[in-house]
Amino acid sequence: MAQIKKKKNSSTMVTLLWTLAFFLIWELIAFWVESSASIRSPEKVLPHFWKIVAVAFDGKTINGTDTAIQLVWLNAKVTLIRSAQGFVIGASIGFLLAILMSLSQIIKKIAFPYLMIIQMIPILGMAPILLSFTGDIDSSRIIIAAILTFYPVATNTLAGMEAVEKEKHELMYSYAANKWQLYTKTLIPASIPYFFTGLKVSAPLAITASILVDTLQGGIGLGCLLSQSLKGAMTRYVFWLIVVISAAIGILSYLLMGLLEDAISSHKKAERACKR
Amino acid sequence: MDTANTETEILMSDIGMKFNSGPDEVTALTSVSLDIKKGEFVSLVGPSGCGKTTLLRIIADLLNPTSGTINIGGESTKQARLDGKYGMVFQSPVLYEWRNVVKNIELPLEIMGVPKNERLERAEEMLEMVGLKDFGNSYPGQLSGGMQQRVGIARALVIQPEILLMDEPFSALDEFTRERLHEDLLNIWRRTNKTIVFVTHNISESVFLSDKICVLSPHPGRLSAVVDVDFERPRLMDIKSTPEYTSKVFEVRSSFEGV
Amino acid sequence: MQEVNELNKKQKNMSWQSLSSIIYPAIFGIVVFVMWQGGLLNILLHTDTNTLPSPSRINSIIMDNQAKIFLNLKATVIVALVGLLFGSLIGYGIAIVAAQYRKWGAGGITLASAFNAVPIVALAPVMNNLTKHISSSVDFRSMLAKTLVVMIVCIAGMSVNAYRGLTELKPFSEDLMKTYAAGNFTVFKKLLLPNSIPYVFTALRISLPGSIISALVTEYFSEKVIGIGRQIRENIVTAQFATAWAYIIISCLLGIVLYVLLLLVESVVMKNRNRK
Repeated sequence: MAQIKKKKNSSTMVTLLWTLAFFLIWELIAFWVESSASIRSPEKVLPHFWKIVAVAFDGKTINGTDTAIQLVWLNAKVTLIRSAQGFVIGASIGFLLAILMSLSQIIKKIAFPYLMIIQMIPILGMAPILLSFTGDIDSSRIIIAAILTFYPVATNTLAGMEAVEKEKHELMYSYAANKWQLYTKTLIPASIPYFFTGLKVSAPLAITASILVDTLQGGIGLGCLLSQSLKGAMTRYVFWLIVVISAAIGILSYLLMGLLEDAISSHKKAERACKR
Repeated sequence: MDTANTETEILMSDIGMKFNSGPDEVTALTSVSLDIKKGEFVSLVGPSGCGKTTLLRIIADLLNPTSGTINIGGESTKQARLDGKYGMVFQSPVLYEWRNVVKNIELPLEIMGVPKNERLERAEEMLEMVGLKDFGNSYPGQLSGGMQQRVGIARALVIQPEILLMDEPFSALDEFTRERLHEDLLNIWRRTNKTIVFVTHNISESVFLSDKICVLSPHPGRLSAVVDVDFERPRLMDIKSTPEYTSKVFEVRSSFEGV
Repeated sequence: MQEVNELNKKQKNMSWQSLSSIIYPAIFGIVVFVMWQGGLLNILLHTDTNTLPSPSRINSIIMDNQAKIFLNLKATVIVALVGLLFGSLIGYGIAIVAAQYRKWGAGGITLASAFNAVPIVALAPVMNNLTKHISSSVDFRSMLAKTLVVMIVCIAGMSVNAYRGLTELKPFSEDLMKTYAAGNFTVFKKLLLPNSIPYVFTALRISLPGSIISALVTEYFSEKVIGIGRQIRENIVTAQFATAWAYIIISCLLGIVLYVLLLLVESVVMKNRNRK
C-alpha cells in the first residue's frame, strides 16, 4: 500500500518535472530571442516567462486606472461567466437530449445522425455569423458555448446509458420497477462517469468559444482585450498575460470537472482511500 | 428433508422456445415438463447451448415460451414477478458500483417503496446472514469476487422472495471460494426455506447442492433426465469423498445425450 | 396461414427498423430545408433574409464564385491536413519515446494532454509572433504559423491516444515476445504497432475535425487574408452575409467529406486486420 502511494507521488513528481522542463525550454528560447541581433522587439516574439509574471504584479497602471492583472482579470471574469452560463445550458440540454434519445427510438433515430454530423463540422467557424444573428455579443458567447457543450455531453451520456449491462435491466425488470425508477436508480447514475467525460471535453471548448466570440467585436472580454493588445494599444505583456491566463483557465476548467466528478461519486473516493 | 413440502411451486408443461423466425430459426427448448416443489433445491445442469439459462429466464418472466404453459403457485410468471416472488442472482454480481453494500441490498426495497428504517433493518439482517456484517459501508470495488457475490445473494433475499433463481452464480469464482459459498448457501437455504432453481454446468456442484438435478441436453435443448439426490442434510464437504457421491456424479454425467 | 402472416409481419418489421433510421432523419432534414428555403426559418429565428439567405441563394453564390472559393478552400485544406499529418506523426513519435521510458513518459503525456485544454485563440497569435522572423515571405510564414497551431492541437490528441495504444496491451503478450527473445524493434513491429492502430484512429477522429476548426480559427489572426475561416469573417465584417454563408456551407462540407474519407480508410484498415 505504501508502495502504491509512493508510486503515485513519484508520477506527480515526474509531471511536475516535465512542467518545469517546459518552462525551462521557454526561457531558453526567450533568451535566444533576446540575444538575437535581427529581432528588434523580443517581447513580440517570445518574452521571458518571469517577465510576464512580473508585469502582472508590478502595480503599474496600463490604461490609467487598472494594473495589467486587474485589467486582464476584469475581462476574464466576463468571458468566464458567459462561457460558464453557456456551458451549464449546453450540458443540461445535452443531458436531457440523451435521456430523450434513450427513451424514444424515434427521437434517437432522428437526432443521432445529426449529432454525428455536428461533430464533423467546424462549429467554431460559425461564430461570426452567430454574432450577426443575435447582434449581441453576450448572448452569442452563451449560445456558441452551449452548442459546443451540448453534443459531447449528449453523445457521451447516451453511450453511458447504453453501456448499462443487460443484467441490470433484468434486475430492475424482475423488481417490476417502473420507467422512472429505472432511470433514477440505474441508468442515470450509471451514465455519470460518461457524462463527466463529455463535460471534460467541452469545458475547455466552451472557454475557447467565448474568447473567440470576444475577438469578433469590441467591448469587454478576454478576447476583446487580446485583439486590442495585438493592435499595440497597450504593452505587449498584456497580450502574453492573456495567453498565459487563458491557457491556465482552459486547463483548470478541465481539472475542475475531474474534481467535481470525484466530489459527487463517493465510491471512487472510498476505493482510492482503500488502495492507499 | 423430512419436513419436505409436497406442494408444487413451479409447474411447467410442454415448454418450447424458439428464437428468430424464418431461415434463422433456432430451437432452444423442446417440450420440457417439470414440477418443482416448494422449498426444493433444483439444479438445471447441462453444457452450453442446452437451454438451461433459457429455462431459468422463462421462469423469471424474462422470456415468454413459444409453446407450453408455466405457472407459479397457480398464477402466471408475470403475476409472480409483480408480486415480488423472485430473487435473481446472476453469474456476475451485477452490483451498483456507486452504492455501498447496504445501499445495494436496499435497492429492491427502495423500488418496492419500503420505508427507510425498515429498509436498513432488513438490509443489515441480510448482511449478517451472508457473513458481511462489517462491510456495510464498503463499496463493491473494495470487495473480493466472492464477497461481491454474497452481496448479490443478500440483495436477492432481502425482498423475501419465494423463489431464488441463480444463473451460474459461482462459475467465476475460484474453487476455494466456491466451496465456502456452497456451504453458506445451503445454510441460508435451510434457514429461509426458499425454493431454489440453480443453473450450472458443474456436475459436482449440482450433486452437492441439490435435491433434484434436471439434466438438459443440447441440439435441441431438452430435458433428458431428472436425477434425485437424497444425501442427508445438512451436507458437509466430507460427502464429496464418499463412493455414493462419486457414483451420483457419474450417474448425472452418463445421462447426457448427444454431447 | 396465420403463422405465415406473422412471419411476414416480423420480416417487414426488421427491414422497417433499419429503413426508419434513414427515413426519420431524412424527413427531419427535408422539413428543415424546406422551412429554410420557404423563409419560415427566418421567422422562427427572427432574422431577415439578409443574415440568413435561402439555400438557393447560397448555392448560386457558390456557383458564381467557384474559382475564388477553391483558392481559399485549398489554403485551408493544406493547413489542416499538413498540420494533421505532422502533428500526428510527432505525437506518435512522442508516444513511442514515452512508452519506451514509461517512468518519465507518463508525466510527459500528462503535460501533452494539457495542451488539449489550451484555447486555440491563445495559440494562434503566439505562433504568428514566433514565425515573424523566420521568413520574409508573408505567404510562407502565415502558412507556417497556421500549420504550427494545427500541429500542436494534433500532437496532443495523438500522443495521448497512441501512448495508450502502445502501453495497454493484452496481458502476457509482452511476456510472450520476451520468450521469443524478440528485439525492441521486432516487439514494436509485431506487437506495439498493430496494437496501437485502433487508438490511432480514435485520435484521428478527434484530431481531424479539430484540425479543420484550428485552421479556420487561426486564419482569423493570420497576416495573410486567405482561407475559408478568414473569408467567413471578412464577409461578415463587410455585411456580405450570403457569401459568408457560402463559405460556412463549404467548411461544413469539407468537414463531412474528410471525416467520411477517414471512416472509409479506417474500415479498410480494420477489415484487413480482422482478416489476418
